[in-house]
Amino acid sequence: MRMLNFAKRNFKELVRDPLSLIFEIALPIFLLFIFQQIKVPGEEYMLENFTPGIILFGFSFITLFTSTLIAKDRGSSLLIRLGTSPMKSSDYILGYILSLIPIILIQDILFFIVALLMGLSFSINIIYTILISLVISILFISFGILIGSLVSEKASGGVGSIIVQLVSFTSGMYFSKDLVGKGFATICEILPFESALNIIRGVLNNSEILTRNIIVFGVYTIIVVILSIIVFKRKMVSDNK
Amino acid sequence: MYSIETKNLTKKYKDKIAVNHMNLQIKEGELFALLGVNGAGKTTTIKMLSGLILPTEGSITIENMNMKKDTLKIKEILNVSPQETAIAPNLSVKENLEFMAGVYQIKNKDNKIKELIKLFKLEEVLNKKAKTLSGGWQRKVSIAISLINDPKILFLDEPTLGLDVIARKELWKIISSLKGKITIILTTHYMEEAESLSDRIGIMANGNLIDIGTSKELIKKTKTKSFEDAFIQIATGGEL
Repeated sequence: MRMLNFAKRNFKELVRDPLSLIFEIALPIFLLFIFQQIKVPGEEYMLENFTPGIILFGFSFITLFTSTLIAKDRGSSLLIRLGTSPMKSSDYILGYILSLIPIILIQDILFFIVALLMGLSFSINIIYTILISLVISILFISFGILIGSLVSEKASGGVGSIIVQLVSFTSGMYFSKDLVGKGFATICEILPFESALNIIRGVLNNSEILTRNIIVFGVYTIIVVILSIIVFKRKMVSDNK
Repeated sequence: MYSIETKNLTKKYKDKIAVNHMNLQIKEGELFALLGVNGAGKTTTIKMLSGLILPTEGSITIENMNMKKDTLKIKEILNVSPQETAIAPNLSVKENLEFMAGVYQIKNKDNKIKELIKLFKLEEVLNKKAKTLSGGWQRKVSIAISLINDPKILFLDEPTLGLDVIARKELWKIISSLKGKITIILTTHYMEEAESLSDRIGIMANGNLIDIGTSKELIKKTKTKSFEDAFIQIATGGEL
């Protein structure tokens, strides 16, 4: 299968970049560890709430490094070569998505191992959380494909880091949206990151997930997935003009 | 039977005509060089012939198949070595060959890879990451990859650009060894390369294919002493 062959190549490219591993795995684990050691007061920093935040934070780096990989591929002649091969657009898109699934699973498993070692109680919900996080990750991978298709390799780091900042400030992983004010709370509700975090927290803690969160996350995911496919396909053609 | 045939092949970008009503026939096993100054339309022609971009007008027939209708079938039997090195930087040379063998779903891939390693003498760099190789090695690997699917048609877009004289001669030797077995379309800025390697040469200027023939025919036609002089006269319309 061409798609799996392409996914295998993408996976190797990603894991052989030490920076990608540091930011996608080591940094979130360090934050999880350090915030528990400091014992920061507040509900957000309890393991059952902060671990989902760390998962989402790790995903934001998936966006960043996916966008860099795609922008790099576009900048090199590799995509020209592949464009003259029998690969179809679906092989490219699914090849990029599939290559990230093992990285996301490794992230989730390592984050939960650290959280369990630090006192998180084991429950079957951890397995469900890992499964739902795979769904959540589609939004972040699609953001990566979209950014990587639109900007150059140099710019992809900067633009991708906007997603990292948005996750940090608007998801509610570090502080409640209500602390900053009504306007900021509305922004958090409009953007998909708070909803994504609430869904992960809801599954892990067996607590209620608001319909609004599912709708906001679902609508964003559908739009970003469709946009990323359209933009990627268009750029594959326009880059070669 | 022609390996490649174009009829009125045209590519327009807004007001600019990159390739203008090109009619070209290339025989099976022929090594055809496409020459022209920068911006003449060589790379655009190769991109259309390899199915990377669509023509604005005209038709392309490759091995009796129509490019519009049979794009995927045509892509199975051709390969391209782009102007810039096209390899996956974090993969080793061997992994690059395996990756491209997977792209073309090569059945006897181990044998094919061994054959290419021998032909291009890649043994010493086989396990090195592509990004750590010198420009000459990267170019060699990039061209080796373009033979992974035993293409019937091979496009070499400035294959020796930026290479030192020894690396260039080595590549010429390999390209010469492919003559007659594969239809090769080569673009180059090196007159010596076109003259010594190709069966026929096409000269492009401002998107037009303005002359075509063997190097000897073109020298005779322009009444010049060397092929370089013949090219200059044809490309500039005798203004230089």
